[in-house]
Amino acid sequence: MADVRDIMELERPPTPEITRETILGDKLKKRNSTGPKVSKRPEGMHREVFALLYNDNKDAPPLFPSDTIGNNGYKQTKIKLGMRKPRKWMWMSFTNPARSDNATFYHWRRPSDEPKEYPFAKFNKKVDIPKYTDTEYQQHLKCEGWSKEETDHLMELATRFDLRFMIMADRYDTEKFSKRSVEDLKQRYYKICGILAKLNGEKKIYTYDADHERRRKEQLKKLYERKPEQIEEEQFLLGELKKIEARKKERERKTQDLQKLISQADNQNDTPRRSDKKIPKKKIANPTRPSRVDTSHILQTIESAGIKFPDYKNSGVSLRSQRMKLPANIGQKKSKGVEQILQDMGLELNPTPSEEICQHFNELRSDMVLLMEIKGALVTCEYELQSLRHQYEALNPGKTLSIPQQLTSNTEVEAKISTSEIIDVVGSPDTPSNA
Amino acid sequence: MSLPTDFGPDSGGRMKGICIVKPIVYGNIARYFGKKREEDGHTHQWTVYVKPYNNEDMSTYVKKVQFKLHESYANQNRIVVKPPYELSETGWGEFEIVVKIYFHDPNERPVTMYHILKLFHSGSTQDIGIEQSKGLVSENYDEIIFQDPTQLMHHLLTNTKQLTLGRWEHNTNFEDKKEKTRKNILEAKEKIRTEIANLKNKLKLAKETISSFKEEIAKSQENQFLL
Repeated sequence: MADVRDIMELERPPTPEITRETILGDKLKKRNSTGPKVSKRPEGMHREVFALLYNDNKDAPPLFPSDTIGNNGYKQTKIKLGMRKPRKWMWMSFTNPARSDNATFYHWRRPSDEPKEYPFAKFNKKVDIPKYTDTEYQQHLKCEGWSKEETDHLMELATRFDLRFMIMADRYDTEKFSKRSVEDLKQRYYKICGILAKLNGEKKIYTYDADHERRRKEQLKKLYERKPEQIEEEQFLLGELKKIEARKKERERKTQDLQKLISQADNQNDTPRRSDKKIPKKKIANPTRPSRVDTSHILQTIESAGIKFPDYKNSGVSLRSQRMKLPANIGQKKSKGVEQILQDMGLELNPTPSEEICQHFNELRSDMVLLMEIKGALVTCEYELQSLRHQYEALNPGKTLSIPQQLTSNTEVEAKISTSEIIDVVGSPDTPSNA
Repeated sequence: MSLPTDFGPDSGGRMKGICIVKPIVYGNIARYFGKKREEDGHTHQWTVYVKPYNNEDMSTYVKKVQFKLHESYANQNRIVVKPPYELSETGWGEFEIVVKIYFHDPNERPVTMYHILKLFHSGSTQDIGIEQSKGLVSENYDEIIFQDPTQLMHHLLTNTKQLTLGRWEHNTNFEDKKEKTRKNILEAKEKIRTEIANLKNKLKLAKETISSFKEEIAKSQENQFLL
């Protein structure tokens, strides 16, 4: 047991284990402590086996009485195996039909077995290489760059090496003919196969795209020959690409929300300015994504802005203050933001809940969320403007687009927009770039 | 809109479309002993209470009020069955008291409020004021809303008696407070809306600028292609 304990790294029991030393070297002491019951380890018995039988506690050996002992148990005088007589093996001759030379070989076989064809002969497969006559060649198979002799040589190699094109290319007769690549050989061979198949009236013709194959191999070669630094750079670039795409997606999502927000604000603010705002709105329609405005328009009217407080229509008792709780779907970020604005404006976080206050307070916080969303959208827009400007500058070196003053800073500038300002934005459209 | 008395078998005997609001005030007052009490280290005597905002006897519709105290108190759950719904104790620390109001009709579920027992003045909390004899007060206004009450409950809610013939006053002037809060909120709302309008205009400008930028880029890309 000590060995198991050692392996499991368990704490050893305080009493010493029975080892060779304790038993043999310290006999007297052992006798005193364990009495006459202790049995000496028989000569030749492994210590581990002995320890299994006799441990410290002098437990009974882990044996269990079994009734198998009475009726001969596990012990049998003779092994009873198959009752049949052993069959004979004989050294016999055989021929391999796969061989053409009729060579005779010998192997051990049971004479009782039927003499059959050599079982491995069937693995000697031959590929059907198409054959052609001279007239066929003259009529159909002529090809620029390939003489009849060379084609014959190719077909002969194909037969000899069972279409193993690698070997064929290696064994190609370069003295008589110029060196050909594997793709060249394949191209010529499959072309011939195709033509001959067509002549035989087969419908399914396989074609071999040698160029594609060459490009594929070239690519693989390039991939294989990359240096570690190049691999690293590639990984890095891939990571960057992912990041850029994620950002792009995020921006697109925000742009989609944008239209929604604008009209939400429109619906909320019944200001007299509303009427003249409607006019430029039609112009927003993005030429690349015309459908977006329409769809969002429908959405806007349905969805309310900011926070959607549940309307307590259910029967039962409730507290007014309960209705001022922010719904759970408002995220941590938004609720924190609302809290911050409330504090900045010197308002209570939990005002006295009368009906009127409750309603106004909820509307106020809904507006605050809307405000935050619009602010966020503005930042996105600014970002997009910047990147568009960079894009333009890259396309038209030396020229730039001017971003309107109100948009370059985040300060609360009274934004009074007229259509003329919007036209100002446009650079000089008619001058072609000199790229 | 159905008539108040018109209720089907599925309405659970509720009177659809009826909404009764009962304003209440809940909170605590606390008084400092002036020193730490020798026996148990307690420093304050306090009273937590729920009372009607208007002068009426709540016991007509309130069955009982349960105050759940800190677990260190014996009999953590204290129940008061008749007005005044209040509970006095002594202690040395502040904790959250769960106030639960049960109604006579068991079909109406009890409402739960949470009140932080205040013993010490804190500058940020406006609720706390000192009265000469009372020490400090921390109380809140709230409204219990009975939406579609049961017939029994409706009867009880509409037949309340005056609690006292004398003046019914609160420690905090909630009317004043409500008015101030209302004004502040409306002002803030106006401010936020103006800001939204401004930002929205900016946003529109940004949108238009973006699309004109895009047109520009498309144009120059076309030009490049032609060249």
